[in-house]
Amino acid sequence: MPEDIAAALASRFGESVSDLILGERSILFKAEKDAFHEALSLLKTLGFEHLSDVSVVDYMSEGEFEVVYHLWSHARKERATQKVRIPRESPAIDSVVDLWPGAQIHEREAHELFGIRFEGNPDLSPLFLEDWKEIPPFRKDFDTRAYVKKRYEADE
Amino acid sequence: MSKVLPQAIKSKADASANSLWVINYFTACGFLELLPWVGSGYDMERFGILAVSTPRHADVFIIAGYVTEKAVNRIKRIYDQMPSPKYVMALGSCPMTGGMYWDSYSTVKRIDKYIPVDLWVLGCPPKPENIGHAIVMAMNAIKKGFKGH
Ligand code: SF4
Repeated sequence: MPEDIAAALASRFGESVSDLILGERSILFKAEKDAFHEALSLLKTLGFEHLSDVSVVDYMSEGEFEVVYHLWSHARKERATQKVRIPRESPAIDSVVDLWPGAQIHEREAHELFGIRFEGNPDLSPLFLEDWKEIPPFRKDFDTRAYVKKRYEADE
Repeated sequence: MSKVLPQAIKSKADASANSLWVINYFTACGFLELLPWVGSGYDMERFGILAVSTPRHADVFIIAGYVTEKAVNRIKRIYDQMPSPKYVMALGSCPMTGGMYWDSYSTVKRIDKYIPVDLWVLGCPPKPENIGHAIVMAMNAIKKGFKGH
């Protein structure tokens, strides 16, 4: 169990890190927005050198997005997951390309599908969608079925 | 499947039907069951069918699987580059109706709204036997003078 990681996080960030869950080979926690980048940086120095993914959860009723960073340590063979909440109104968060250059493409995707701005990411141009004029399609308030009915009406 | 026996080439149509060159555009999982035809299992080469790497050499355009809004623009470009006569074969329920992605925000529902389609093969994905049946039907139609588009 990655107890040493939990201890290092608690001593460095105190209250800014919460809801810590330790598993056999994994650690999962929430970080405050002002501490999230430093916490990731600490995880990287502690051996989590691989960023597997950056994903997003839309908590529409709470007015927040949750950005989730999935890390892996080849040396420790352990997984670390860090969550950070940001407001749903004009959502923005610092990019982590300075820590993991590979974050670029994950953030670009999250930007396209949820509309989150990743400050410092060099290229947030559209990735999968072409000529998209609606709100980002992975947001909970995007009504897929209504969109499909309207957009492909003529095809029926 | 109807039997295809070796025959002498009698006409230009016969020659075309026995030398269909295909450009494959594998948009999705619809390709999975076409693979046995490409390999030695079902061996499409015994019908004179070759996979080519550029649309400019192709007679048949196979669209295998669901088509996204982004892919459909590429499909139109590929189609436009093919010389006539050309034939289009769409594999699977997805290019016909959107299949199980019918309510997705970026999957086109009917590929024939964008380019003409000559042959639809039903299935999710279509079985190799169905694809073989379709190929033989196409060859017979071409021998009888079907010109495609
Ligand atoms: S019809 Fe089925 S196999 Fe074919 S692309 Fe759609 S989901 Fe995949």
